[in-house]
Amino acid sequence: MNCEEVHHFIDTYLDGELDPARRVELEQHLALCPSCRSLLEERKAFRAFFVAAVSGYKAPPQLEAKILAAVRLPERNTARLLKAPTRAKFSLWRQPWIYATAVIATTVFLASKILFPDGEKEFSSQAVFRHSSSLSTLHFVDVASPNPAVVKPWLTARLDFAPPLVGSPASGYSLVGGRVDVIQNRSVAALIYKHDQDVVSLFCWPPDKEHLSTSERSIEGYRVATWSNAQCNYVLVSKLSDQAMHDFTDSFRVRIQSGAYF
Amino acid sequence: MREQQAGFEELVLPHLDAAYRLARLLVKRDEDAQDIVQDAYIKALKGFKGFRGGDARAWILMIVRNTAFSWLKKHYANRDVIPFDEAVHQPSTEESLSESAYEERSRQLREALARLPVEFREILVLRDIEGWSYKELAAALKLPLGTVMSRLSRARLHLREEIAKVQHRES
Repeated sequence: MNCEEVHHFIDTYLDGELDPARRVELEQHLALCPSCRSLLEERKAFRAFFVAAVSGYKAPPQLEAKILAAVRLPERNTARLLKAPTRAKFSLWRQPWIYATAVIATTVFLASKILFPDGEKEFSSQAVFRHSSSLSTLHFVDVASPNPAVVKPWLTARLDFAPPLVGSPASGYSLVGGRVDVIQNRSVAALIYKHDQDVVSLFCWPPDKEHLSTSERSIEGYRVATWSNAQCNYVLVSKLSDQAMHDFTDSFRVRIQSGAYF
Repeated sequence: MREQQAGFEELVLPHLDAAYRLARLLVKRDEDAQDIVQDAYIKALKGFKGFRGGDARAWILMIVRNTAFSWLKKHYANRDVIPFDEAVHQPSTEESLSESAYEERSRQLREALARLPVEFREILVLRDIEGWSYKELAAALKLPLGTVMSRLSRARLHLREEIAKVQHRES
């Protein structure tokens, strides 16, 4: 087993769910590899911390009393309680002001949607537009090379940041090259991959204000995924199946997190 | 009836902390979590006749989980992101100055957890806090084993990423 496989299986190993043959291989590797050993220690320490921190959530003392009171009621009261649970019912629809409030709330909601549009959706549609125009103009890349060591310096020289480069994030994917593109008035790196006949564009740039949330959506027949890590926002556009897209995004994220990129 | 009641209390009340913890992680707010646990216990009592022995803790946790999911569906059906528990999201400046390194890390963890999809929070608490095996998770969540494994690994990956982002924002 090599380091990459150890990274892949280490949590399953800690869960005690790795099959015996792989467990032996993993332990043999650990015996020889100090950096994987320290990863193991790190993961163990994180789990202990996670358990301690989450166990801090304890039922508030009054909850037991409330529950006892509820479950000890005669049955017909329990039935009533089930229908109208803990909070008192208030006949909202008979209050005239509720309609005025609803109108104001709707207006504010719509105004906020216009003034502060959903970032993920905005970036996704622009990325789809850039992706599809690169397909129609056949201008995929400014620098064509499967080698991250060639693509990275080329892009870095033309951008105000250094994009992370992964040559082949998952099996079946190969890097075609990169280009400088523009999304939301900002220069971004577009990394182009091929998967069979499918072209995949991965746009990335450092977050100026907001980190993009993880999202997936379909726009004009394309599947678009967004996510971010501390250094970069990412938008992936392709016509891949969800399975193939998750293979890409998951392995890419693992590579970045474990420092296995150029 | 009285006997059954006593049996019920003896069996499920000891798991109140676990029930609350699960509800709290799924719906985030203390008050909502309390409502859900109370609702789940009343439902459990009604269905207690149907409980044929076995793991009472797992049984009550699944009722809490189902109650929490219908609650989430009802309250947040049309939103992508459930808002933060304010108490967790906005510590006052004084608090953040005086918090110890451990408290700071726990707060960052809670913030990161709050940003995960609810399915990820669920599987993390059932696996890492409750210690369920992959098989038990697959049976309880009605998922194929492969999906349990990939969901768990994605949940952990996302959690690490979110923690790094929280730390990055604060540095």
